[in-house]
Amino acid sequence: MDAATHNISRIINTICPFCGVGCGIGLRVEQEKITGVEPLVSHPVSQGKLCAKGWSTAYAVDPIDRITTPLIKENGTFRPASWDEAYRVITEAFSTTIAQQGADALGVIACARATNEDCYAAQKFARAALGTNNIDHCARICHSPSVAGLRQTLGSGAMTNSINDIEKADLIVVFGCDPTENHSVLGGRIIGAKMAGARLLVIDPRKTRLAQMADLHLQLQLGTNIALINGLLQIIFANGWEATEFLNSRCENEAALRARVAEYPPERVAAITGVPEEKLIAAARIYTEAERALLTYGMGITQYTTGTNNVISISNLALVAGQIGREGTGINPLRGQNNVQGACDMGALPNVFPGYQEVAEPASRARFATHWQRPLPERKGLTSLGMTKEALNGNLRCMLIMGEDPVVTDPDQHHVQRALEALDLLVVIELVMTETAAMADVILPAAAFSEKEGTFTNCERRVQRIAPAIPAPGEAKPDWQILGELAGRLGYHGMAWPNAEAIFNEIATLSPLYQGMSYPRLAKNHGLQWPCNEQAPNGTSLLHSKAFSRGKGRLIPVSHAGPAEMPDEAYPLFFTTTRLHFHYGCGSMTRKSPLLERETPNGVLFINPADAQALAIKPQTKVRISSRRGEVETRAVITDEVPPGTVAMPYHFKEAPSNRLTNTAQDPVTKMPELKACAVRVTNLEAECK
Amino acid sequence: MKRFLLDRIDRLRDHLASQRPLFTPQGNDGSAELNWLPLTRETPPTATGRPRLPTCPAKQFFFPEREILFRFDGNDFKETLPKPTPQILFGVRSCDLCAIAYQDRFFQQDPYYQARRRATLLVGIDCQIPCDGGFCPTVDAGPFVRDGMADLVCHQQQDEGWLLMAQSAEGEALLRGLDLKAAETSRIDQRTRAQQQVIARFPPATHIETGIQRINRAEVPAGQWQALGLQCLACSGCTSLCPTCSCFTSYDRPAADGFERERCWDSCLYDAFQREASGHNPSATAGQRVERFWFHKFSDEYAKTFGRYGCTGCGRCEKTCPGVIGVHSVMKSISAAP
Amino acid sequence: MKGLMTPQLIRITEIYDDGEASRHFTFEPVTGISHPASPGQFFTLAIPGHGEAAFTYLSLPDVRGQFKALIRRAGTLTSALFQRSRGDLIGFRGPFGNCWPLDQLQGKRVLILAGGIGLPPLAAVADHLSADDKTPVGLIYGSRSPADQVLQHERSAWHKCMPILETFDHPSNGKQLIGTPLDHISQMTAKLGGAPEAILTCGPEVMMSAAGRHFAANGLPPENIWLALERRMHCGVGECGHCYLGSSYVCTDGPIYSWQQLARLQSQTTA
Repeated sequence: MDAATHNISRIINTICPFCGVGCGIGLRVEQEKITGVEPLVSHPVSQGKLCAKGWSTAYAVDPIDRITTPLIKENGTFRPASWDEAYRVITEAFSTTIAQQGADALGVIACARATNEDCYAAQKFARAALGTNNIDHCARICHSPSVAGLRQTLGSGAMTNSINDIEKADLIVVFGCDPTENHSVLGGRIIGAKMAGARLLVIDPRKTRLAQMADLHLQLQLGTNIALINGLLQIIFANGWEATEFLNSRCENEAALRARVAEYPPERVAAITGVPEEKLIAAARIYTEAERALLTYGMGITQYTTGTNNVISISNLALVAGQIGREGTGINPLRGQNNVQGACDMGALPNVFPGYQEVAEPASRARFATHWQRPLPERKGLTSLGMTKEALNGNLRCMLIMGEDPVVTDPDQHHVQRALEALDLLVVIELVMTETAAMADVILPAAAFSEKEGTFTNCERRVQRIAPAIPAPGEAKPDWQILGELAGRLGYHGMAWPNAEAIFNEIATLSPLYQGMSYPRLAKNHGLQWPCNEQAPNGTSLLHSKAFSRGKGRLIPVSHAGPAEMPDEAYPLFFTTTRLHFHYGCGSMTRKSPLLERETPNGVLFINPADAQALAIKPQTKVRISSRRGEVETRAVITDEVPPGTVAMPYHFKEAPSNRLTNTAQDPVTKMPELKACAVRVTNLEAECK
Repeated sequence: MKRFLLDRIDRLRDHLASQRPLFTPQGNDGSAELNWLPLTRETPPTATGRPRLPTCPAKQFFFPEREILFRFDGNDFKETLPKPTPQILFGVRSCDLCAIAYQDRFFQQDPYYQARRRATLLVGIDCQIPCDGGFCPTVDAGPFVRDGMADLVCHQQQDEGWLLMAQSAEGEALLRGLDLKAAETSRIDQRTRAQQQVIARFPPATHIETGIQRINRAEVPAGQWQALGLQCLACSGCTSLCPTCSCFTSYDRPAADGFERERCWDSCLYDAFQREASGHNPSATAGQRVERFWFHKFSDEYAKTFGRYGCTGCGRCEKTCPGVIGVHSVMKSISAAP
Repeated sequence: MKGLMTPQLIRITEIYDDGEASRHFTFEPVTGISHPASPGQFFTLAIPGHGEAAFTYLSLPDVRGQFKALIRRAGTLTSALFQRSRGDLIGFRGPFGNCWPLDQLQGKRVLILAGGIGLPPLAAVADHLSADDKTPVGLIYGSRSPADQVLQHERSAWHKCMPILETFDHPSNGKQLIGTPLDHISQMTAKLGGAPEAILTCGPEVMMSAAGRHFAANGLPPENIWLALERRMHCGVGECGHCYLGSSYVCTDGPIYSWQQLARLQSQTTA
């Protein structure tokens, strides 16, 4: 009888698989099952704390619904297959496509939840084994504008400071992000800093938890970030509150910025943003007055057609105020997924190799070609949305998706589904049967984070080791191993690594950011923050302290432009997407917890009391939300956390997929889709039937 | 019961471990953590000096985080009572022992809990120095092990060696074969005096005392609970680590031949803890739920039933709460003049 | 008897519809062994794969252990139950909780106030009191509309032995009473031959609280006003914690509380 003893046999220290904060967790193993977690008190980031998702990790990796053998679809249903057969089907389709149409007819989607080793393998597989730069991952839909924007202004797209800096700041600015819900342990540290006397400025259309605690909350209209920041900069320059010495010694292009922001006097900005002038002035004052002001931002900045420009204006603000390059300051994008930083660092992007070395640079291409012993493709690759578009055009014929669920998480769900249906072959490497996996021709079973070695890089650039607690179920194996074996079948033998550590050593050889790291060194230090190399052997907690990565910080004037789709008569409300504390991504992990699933069972629409009253909507009323792209039915939650005229929906629920509504209008630089704003109509379904 | 003098505490630990599987707090894999794990060759000697509590209390041994209650095999419901092998928990501190006694009473009818509990012998250690954040004397839970709360109790004496007290027949039986000298009666008085000295070293806990009074007089304004509720991120950390928290939920999972009912730890801080199918929620605000948690820990109403408060002064909630509303933060807030 | 948490098998022996989305079920234990239960107590039904939920007895177990329940389709478990047919086996645990204070009602003028789906928990006590000549009893039953009424069969039996007023939020004709049960107290007082000396109520919490306040304000001792409360009850044995009400658990200390007890429990907390 296996209900016997429940004796704890061991606890394996590892890293939480959810968000980019990268908390330390111990997986409790009893009779070869993960039965619970214990927080790690010695972990430098989480210090013995976890959020609801972290505490529920044992459910997330529960073997109950795992895929345990390769599956091949036949007549619409999946049947188990051997690895050999699955690899044969894939190899044949890939080889045929390459012969007929070239390698650019293939695409690979890596995963911000997978390890660095897996992501490195995915991009090497695309570039060296297949011969295409068609490699991307979901950073496209979260922080690609951060990478693009901050690379232009600072030279590096990552969080400039460290999580431990939160306690060193005397002002914390929370801009377009909801850290207590999405990065809870980090959000908790902001609460702690506030309790200990730091001031808190929140800039967000929603009245978030931190907004309710804030000293000052600027509740701006959706999609008016640039106008607001230009307005703050206008006030700063007009009053002489800028950091003159810092601007003179460390920045360039000040005159152009001054000229542009002069077009944004407070009364104009108040009209665009809906924020009263006196609040704008107060915000400009406290940000420049603060000795150390730490700014964090999130999807409320990036998920717009103006995402890159939004990031640039954030950078302008920090540079003009001189709130960067010192402890307790900086520009700190909060990365959504546990390893989205690492997936970018690994070059799981169409334009860069590991360490952000440009594919377009002949020198870096030559370097990787030599190392990988393969000629490498020059042509810039497609983004994930580019791939789905080309699939519909017939130019992309096969895709390999590693652990992502674009059917639920990407904008305009119908478009994604049609694109995936149009493929000759869709291969999905997954833990469980997600909506995307269900559309695959071949599914390959992957090992979960709790079943393999590897590293995750958190949002403060800390590369941390994970450790296997139990064996993978059935025939599941690590993604890197699957990709290595598949590469071998395709005739490329440069990926036959014996273990994850060998991959990491290869990464350290090729990426200057990771050069000084090794598995033993990571284990000893609770991870190391990049860059870690000869100049910084113990890693780097603070970027840009003496000079910016690109030399001088570049001020770039940008102008306000509203969202691509504005409310009108037919679709009178603004619609925005949010995340909930209790869920993560497509919900395939968090929704396995009976507790988290109970918290928000069916998906919800958040609506302001004024809008609810106008539509006779009561709490839990059934509603339909329609946009020009599709419609969704769910239940209403009435809350003044959303402003009048704006409704919000979390994107975790396949029963109420908010991405049927969202707009694919894109940022011209990064192709980031505008997930944060579109126009919708809300219908009260209970009123209809009476 | 009998009292002995013991030279080295790990002589006792080894002797016990030779008879039954023994668990003791230790760093997993040589880390700086402190977890309840089986004694192995690598387990370091029992620590003396300033005590540190293991991250998790011992409740998981009796009331595991997840447990199958019964199976439905397609025909009938089959109870799945655990059949635990006898085990020893070595080095349990007084706060956690008081919590075990509390749960023993709470779960007295529960066959799953009792099966595990009856198979377990407890070896307690007196705390000679206040631990970081602990306030056991304020809630009558330490620092020395209370009578009858452990099968064996170890007390490090000021002059030298240990006083070993057998408090149950089963505990005494386990000592057979261990070379021990009987201890003089005066050792007991010395221990009583030593406890007074340790208590004197605890920092003042007037915020706890005042907070308890104000909770029992229902004097804390609703607005203050709502403000504290805003800081509750509903992570379930406090209820997971609280040694007396016992709420659970249960759900059906598919099993090989039908279904099984699993019960798992729940948290009264979750919005949906009391929410009904209609959407009506008797504890709809975070402020109500936060108040409920502390009422459950510090109300005299529960003390009547359990002979003590639901808080044993371990301080784990303060350490694990990301929203800074653990016991010290909350009691400081509510004990301040409104 | 199985363990504390493990259901035993019972058979569905009869099913018929009653009102909107409500159904009568008759159950019989497969062992044929009856269990004693009192008016006001509850039990749980388990359907493998769908969990378990609490229900009240409409009629108490007879010698063969047969008992009835009126069940409204509300969530996943009740939806699964409505898929079951006569003869099917499901899980049962109980009885749980306390009961209406029958001994304290003897000889008093008793008024029963029911709102909506709050009538079934009062059915067994209504049956019991209607059989007692020395205890005059009356019922006021409020529903949203005539279509929402339940227990047609039981009410016609009670009509023969007690005064009953039926009132609606939305009556279907001008002859029907309109308003909440509290709007018709004086009419019932006349029928009962005097002001009620004990109140038994079950229904929406707002209605019960309004009733409690009304009668307490009119001089009825709060210990003679009884309410049947509803909370999420999972385990039934005071362990899982979900049904807390102040320092009590509704599944063991309730579901029946006096207005006096309730006032004390509610004064324990402030938020």
